[in-house]
Amino acid sequence: MPDMIHKENKKANEGSYILLTDKEVKRSWINWLFNNQANYNYERMMGTGFLHSMVPIAKKLYKDDIEKQRDMLKRHTGFFNCEPCLGSAIAGLTVAMEEQKAAGGEIDGEAVTSIKTGLMGPLSGIGDSIIQGVIVPLLLAFAIDMASGGSVVAPIVYSLVMIAVVFGISYTLFMTGYKKGSGAILNILENGIVNKIIAGANIMGCMVLGALVANYVSMSCGIQIQQTADSVFNVQEQLFDTIIPKLLPLLLTLGSYKLLKKGWSSVKVLLFIVIIGVIGGVTGILG
Amino acid sequence: MSVFQAMLLGVLYYLGNSSIVAGPVGYYTIYRPLIGGFLTGLVLGDPVTGVMVGATINLMYIGFISAGGALPGDMCLAGILGAALAITGGLDTEAALAIAVPIGLIGTLLWFGRLTLDSFFAHLADKYVEKGESGKIWIASVLLPQSMLFVMTAIPCFLAAYFGAGYIQGAINALGGTVLGVLIIIGGMMPALGIGLTLLYIFKGEARIFFFVGFLLAVYFNLSMIAVGFLALCSAVVYTQLRNAKGGEANA
Repeated sequence: MPDMIHKENKKANEGSYILLTDKEVKRSWINWLFNNQANYNYERMMGTGFLHSMVPIAKKLYKDDIEKQRDMLKRHTGFFNCEPCLGSAIAGLTVAMEEQKAAGGEIDGEAVTSIKTGLMGPLSGIGDSIIQGVIVPLLLAFAIDMASGGSVVAPIVYSLVMIAVVFGISYTLFMTGYKKGSGAILNILENGIVNKIIAGANIMGCMVLGALVANYVSMSCGIQIQQTADSVFNVQEQLFDTIIPKLLPLLLTLGSYKLLKKGWSSVKVLLFIVIIGVIGGVTGILG
Repeated sequence: MSVFQAMLLGVLYYLGNSSIVAGPVGYYTIYRPLIGGFLTGLVLGDPVTGVMVGATINLMYIGFISAGGALPGDMCLAGILGAALAITGGLDTEAALAIAVPIGLIGTLLWFGRLTLDSFFAHLADKYVEKGESGKIWIASVLLPQSMLFVMTAIPCFLAAYFGAGYIQGAINALGGTVLGVLIIIGGMMPALGIGLTLLYIFKGEARIFFFVGFLLAVYFNLSMIAVGFLALCSAVVYTQLRNAKGGEANA
């Protein structure tokens, strides 16, 4: 697939704003940003949203030709699913390709579809692991830390930062896709910088999650052993707390991770935790 | 809780699921229990409790990743109803969390229903394209699916908020102290699952040791999350630099 895209790339890379103006391009981005999941469905996922983002483009490119307008939009009724922020780049790129096609460029409809579907997987992979895997959990970890003391500023600050991040990434990538073509997107994908960012982000994410376990998972042993008539050995306070205070939460977290990795569904792990909690709570092993 | 307040909570749940107000940003903001709990608190006149309960419920979903339309739970409903229960019923935060999570599981039914029924509108869009009526595509893309979403989300949430809070409070009171104690234990353990889900994506290769570094820093030095965050940033930069330096030698 990359070879294919590289070949098409030459054609898809020649200039922009030939037939379109800034107005339709921005309109298309807004349609994508707000509506990509408005009709999220199992059959085509974000397909209808993608179609919606192409409407202003089709109307402008084939103003007087309903027939051609229909042909163009038909190409975009199919399945589409991507992480929405990074998927923005594909929408921008598609706008550029459709524009060149309308201007008489040698791009056939199938090439547009195959570039579109070829990029969806790799961009989702990067988008999910950076945005949902690191940026959101990190920002939430900080905000939750502020908020659990009762700070009403925390949700507001978090929301403002998140809005800036989502709008910023989405707009920048849409315009990069539109103005620089598929070459720019492939460069981003193949460039070592993305891998470095992912590696660094994973380190940050892991460290913050480790601290989260210590601060926010709570599980303690309630067992007390009668040693002599008037001295009691408290397992949590006199064993765990003196060596590794949060050992049980750590083991519980790593255990949940192992089970999820083994293929357990999150609901199954949840039930498992509930069962441990009920047994531990009723017997007094946990307290 | 007044009827009007319960209606506002229904609308809030719709907004968390909708794209109309904030687009994809809504999914990262209103949909999260931290923000949903805060807004619920505003509606019910106790934003501070709302924020605190929302933050705790959000921990459970901190590693929430929606990939390919699969959801481990509906955290938006869990956040709104959890905060509403804690505020109107005077529940402990952990107990509210333990009740909110099953509510979230029920909420996923709405999600499955929505994604299934929405397929119909995709075919309607095909029809508009076929007829050359591109000006009508927004009806299939936004108007109809969002109207349906409003009915599917706002009404159940309104009913649950209005009738549920008093009912659940009564049930817990009737069951007594042991049940509450067990709920608190379970609520304390649940964030482990949320963190475990995120680890699936980032607990890889050489980054793994830093999970333990973060844990030890918080356990033995009692560092705040922000302090660990900055240390983590520095560690990531130093690590990447060292790795590059090593790579450079190997190439030379």
